[in-house]
Amino acid sequence: MPRWLSRARKNGSLLALPTVLWLVIFFVTPLVIVLAFSFMSRGRGGVAIMPFTLNHYERTFDIFFIILQRSIGLAALTTVICLIAGYPLAFFISTRRRRLVQQITLFLVILPFWTNFLIRTYAWRILLGEEGTINSALLNLGLISEPLPLLNTQLAVLIGLVYGFLPFMVLPIFASVERFNFRYVDAAHDLGANDIRTFLRIVLPLTMPGVLAGCALVFIPSVGAFVTPDLLGGTKGLMIGNLINNQFGGSGNMPLGSALSVVMMAVVMLSLLVYVFANRRDRGA
Amino acid sequence: MGVKQMPSYDVELVDIVKDFESGGGRVRAVDHVSVQIEDSEFFALLGPSGCGKTTTLRLIAGFEQPTAGHILIRGRAMEGIPAYHRPVNTVFQDYALFPHLTVEQNIMFGLQMEGVHKKEARVLAAEALEKVRLPGVGERKPHQLSGGQQQRVALARALVKQPAVLLLDEPLGALDLKLRKNMQFELKALQRDVGITFIYVTHDQEEAITMADRIAIMNDGLMLQVGTPKQIYEHPETHFVADFIGETNFIAGTLIERRADGYGTVRLGDGTVIRAQLSETLGGSAGTVTVAIRPERISISTPLNPPKALGNADEATVLDALLVDSQYIGTDTRYTLRIGDEIELVARLQNIKDQEHAALKIGGNVKVFWQDSSTTVLDK
Repeated sequence: MPRWLSRARKNGSLLALPTVLWLVIFFVTPLVIVLAFSFMSRGRGGVAIMPFTLNHYERTFDIFFIILQRSIGLAALTTVICLIAGYPLAFFISTRRRRLVQQITLFLVILPFWTNFLIRTYAWRILLGEEGTINSALLNLGLISEPLPLLNTQLAVLIGLVYGFLPFMVLPIFASVERFNFRYVDAAHDLGANDIRTFLRIVLPLTMPGVLAGCALVFIPSVGAFVTPDLLGGTKGLMIGNLINNQFGGSGNMPLGSALSVVMMAVVMLSLLVYVFANRRDRGA
Repeated sequence: MGVKQMPSYDVELVDIVKDFESGGGRVRAVDHVSVQIEDSEFFALLGPSGCGKTTTLRLIAGFEQPTAGHILIRGRAMEGIPAYHRPVNTVFQDYALFPHLTVEQNIMFGLQMEGVHKKEARVLAAEALEKVRLPGVGERKPHQLSGGQQQRVALARALVKQPAVLLLDEPLGALDLKLRKNMQFELKALQRDVGITFIYVTHDQEEAITMADRIAIMNDGLMLQVGTPKQIYEHPETHFVADFIGETNFIAGTLIERRADGYGTVRLGDGTVIRAQLSETLGGSAGTVTVAIRPERISISTPLNPPKALGNADEATVLDALLVDSQYIGTDTRYTLRIGDEIELVARLQNIKDQEHAALKIGGNVKVFWQDSSTTVLDK
């Protein structure tokens, strides 16, 4: 038996072998292919061919830059709104004295997951459409004289994203507040801190792990979202996810799609780095 | 300063009631408690868990609002004044040190809330750490300290604010016995040193007796008795207090006569009639009572070794007894005695003279005696 094998048997790293194989075949390999494609030229039918070129990256940061910008902007705004709406909600849920109230509210937060995401997003089309629920209600009430352009706007995408990802903000913050020892609030009050200062200096820093996790869980999928912008955004609300999706269709451009994917991954990696850094600073390592 | 305004109560509770809602019902945690605590006093709230002592402390701190009654601190009514504006600080049972802040930041927190400049706060924090004999740990996080050290930091964090009153909620509860003993002395010394009023919640009677100037005994939300440790120990006013503090013999009997000198005549279960001191709070009617006497107040002698002079014989009680059992407990030996068929007493003798103990044989006939002033007649 070779030495590396006997050592691996001893320290248990053989146990990781199936996972490692799985990741190499289904994660690393495609990643390498995407990376390679992104530097290749477009052939007939959108496939990647030689020679190597930086053309797709140039286009990404040139004509598609506005879409990249919009994606990051919408994702950031989604994260901020989810945080502002989700923190008080999570706080409310975790501070309920009665277990039943807590369980019911938590259940309501998770309830939308019982329906398919696609169907729920279609429902928003019905709500936001020109003859949709919101417009007809406002028209009937005489508050507006003609339908508001709600559907196929960036606002619609934002509403859809916030709606879809709010639970991902609420749940980790809930877990954080649940772990928070409210004796610290007594202690802060005791030492002369009013409610606002107590929140800013004690409660918020101590629940920051939940806030950071929630932000990461909302921001990362929001940047790459394509179902929501596809159904609610129209051409005005196009995001990078849609752009990538289109490149892999019939008349697409796989190398361009790969380049866009690589850039998007870089954005996600960057935000994860921010998350890890903030978390570490928070722990005060 | 030494200038005393009269009357100078630091904390005054006037007929405080606190009810909690619980599962549709109401639970009375504090039941019409009134007490005055003086300036620079070390005042202990003592009672079993759930007796309302911690709730009383939280009411003074402002974490809870009384259902009825008034709280005055330095003569100022505390109604509507939030915890963060009260001139009191708390040392919490689990210390509640902020885990994300360093020790120094923890101590500076309260000062910064007052608007003390950071530089000055830093100096004061260092001084506070010196005072609790824990210099040089300012940069550490609370979790890097031992329980005893965290306890000192919590103390420093509260004292640095120079409160009128320091509230301590079982601050030594989480420490091991040896450390607890040391901290008792230190806390007492510190209290004398800083001259701040301490209100100290504990369920440990020994802690209360050794540290406090006065003790309030609580049970079921009621404040049963307030007094110096000596008063509480030697003149308990209720059965509960006598039982809760130290070990006590309770002898059931019937009060047959009350005398003007504060003593009464009690007939015990077996017909023996003794003279005993009446509690001031004893109910009006003669009837069934309990005579309480501390084990260390009871002396034992063998027929060969008769009772020593007890001063005036009229003021002492001597009874025949059977020695049933003995138990060596280190400093003392506990003797179980039977008088007649029904009455069982425990006496404690210090282990000083070996020959004295050697003469006491299980199964032997002895005489027990005590001074009548050592007894207290309580309501049943």
